[in-house]
Amino acid sequence: MLSCHIKGVRNGYPFIIEVGKLAEHEADFDADFLKHIFPRINWPAFLQGAQAMNCREGLPEEATEALLEDEGFQKTFHHALLEVELEEGALVCPETGRKFPVAKGIPNMLLNEDEC
Amino acid sequence: MLVEVWGEGSSWEEMRAAVEACPEELKAPWLGPDFSFRVVVESYGRSLTMEEQLELITALEFIPFQGAVRLRDPQLRFVLIVCDCNDNPSLVDARLPTRYYFGRVVGSCDRTLLDAYTLKRRAYLGPTSMDTEMAFIMANMAKVRRGSFMFDPYAGTGSILVAAAVYGAKVLGGDIDIKVIREGKVGPGGQRLTIRSNFQQYGLPQPVDLIRMDAHRHPLRPGLQEVLHCIIGDPPYGVRAGGKKSGARPEVAARRPNPGDRATYIPATQPYTLGECLRDLLELAAQLLVPGGRLVYFLPATPDTYDPATEVPAHPALELVANSEQILTSRYSRRLVTMEKVRSYDAAAAAAFYAAHPDPTLAIDRLHDIVYEPSPTGEAGAAGGEPGSEGGQEGAAKPRRRCRGKNF
Repeated sequence: MLSCHIKGVRNGYPFIIEVGKLAEHEADFDADFLKHIFPRINWPAFLQGAQAMNCREGLPEEATEALLEDEGFQKTFHHALLEVELEEGALVCPETGRKFPVAKGIPNMLLNEDEC
Repeated sequence: MLVEVWGEGSSWEEMRAAVEACPEELKAPWLGPDFSFRVVVESYGRSLTMEEQLELITALEFIPFQGAVRLRDPQLRFVLIVCDCNDNPSLVDARLPTRYYFGRVVGSCDRTLLDAYTLKRRAYLGPTSMDTEMAFIMANMAKVRRGSFMFDPYAGTGSILVAAAVYGAKVLGGDIDIKVIREGKVGPGGQRLTIRSNFQQYGLPQPVDLIRMDAHRHPLRPGLQEVLHCIIGDPPYGVRAGGKKSGARPEVAARRPNPGDRATYIPATQPYTLGECLRDLLELAAQLLVPGGRLVYFLPATPDTYDPATEVPAHPALELVANSEQILTSRYSRRLVTMEKVRSYDAAAAAAFYAAHPDPTLAIDRLHDIVYEPSPTGEAGAAGGEPGSEGGQEGAAKPRRRCRGKNF
């Protein structure tokens, strides 16, 4: 859902994820939440992220809302969406190469003053 | 608490007469021998001793209760409300007239949450952590329920996130202060305490994400819309924690070093006026809330100058649902504002609205000055809050005030 927000940047989405360390933690499974969030997700960008985060397996190239009725898909989607976290690494702007560091699981999205 | 009032009056006798006059068909079904019951006394304006309470309960014997008294888990609860503000000069709230009410409790909220999530035993706290009760009230105003996607752009130590998560929301937190959101602090046992420690402490599912970000220049993908069910936040306003946004103040901009390594460079921040902050917040809500989604936030106000017509910000996509005052001191209060998204976001409509309504610069932007201004009578400064704050001379007599918010 994040994008590069440096002033003047037009193609700041999606970020390229640079993985230092991943963490996994169990998240509450909630099918309604998945149904809510699915249509708001840019699927190719999500796949690219999942690929980088090593949880792409089982996610189809193209996805439609009909897939959400499938329990197997729900589980895979839930896992990739909510349970795998970038602990250390960076989000890299595809246009400028600007790296937004991620440390202790928190992306630092603050701009420097020359970027605002 | 919801009460079916059987009688009220400005004196005990008046209330008694009203209860006696209350139709039998309303009272009789609840007074039979089959129901165990208890009577509680709620007082406002002064506290009653145990003896005084018992005396009042005994005086209710004119009501023909036939059921057994059971203090623990009674089937019915009755309440006697005594409002008596006399002899209590410390109340700055609206002074209510003396009044007695008696009735049957129909429903009440679950107050055990307040003890279970009390700040007293919470691992990670800061000076402006939202009071537990208020955080739950905010979550209720935002209609948080299981599966809600909730965002707090000023998450701080995450108190509001906790309340929303208790109600089953998936929560997202942002904050501009990296110390608060990422570093946390070191606990008594040397362990690192952060927002995540609090979620762990309560066995709550962890936040979906925590992001160090500036609500003014936020990194959410442009065009992202209608994704959140609620936005709840306590915007930074300058009494304790002043607002900050990205960028350098003009006077320091020239002296700033050239950002070499962006990964470690510490970006400058500059003050963020409340008017600007609230415009950003409403704009964020107008874009990101689903239709029917709610924005709940605190708006500081100075009761002497407060004007709802000019001080409560508006947005063409949002409608005001509630605006409730919480009095903090005699010259400072805050208002819990609830807005609902009633129209889809229309950038042109928003732009036209802003063109017609420039950023308000209000009394609220002078809040610090108003709150800490010495009182005209020459008594000590009205601050009295934090030691070391300007105007708070050592040993100066504290002005009379009543603080109901624990986190002022």
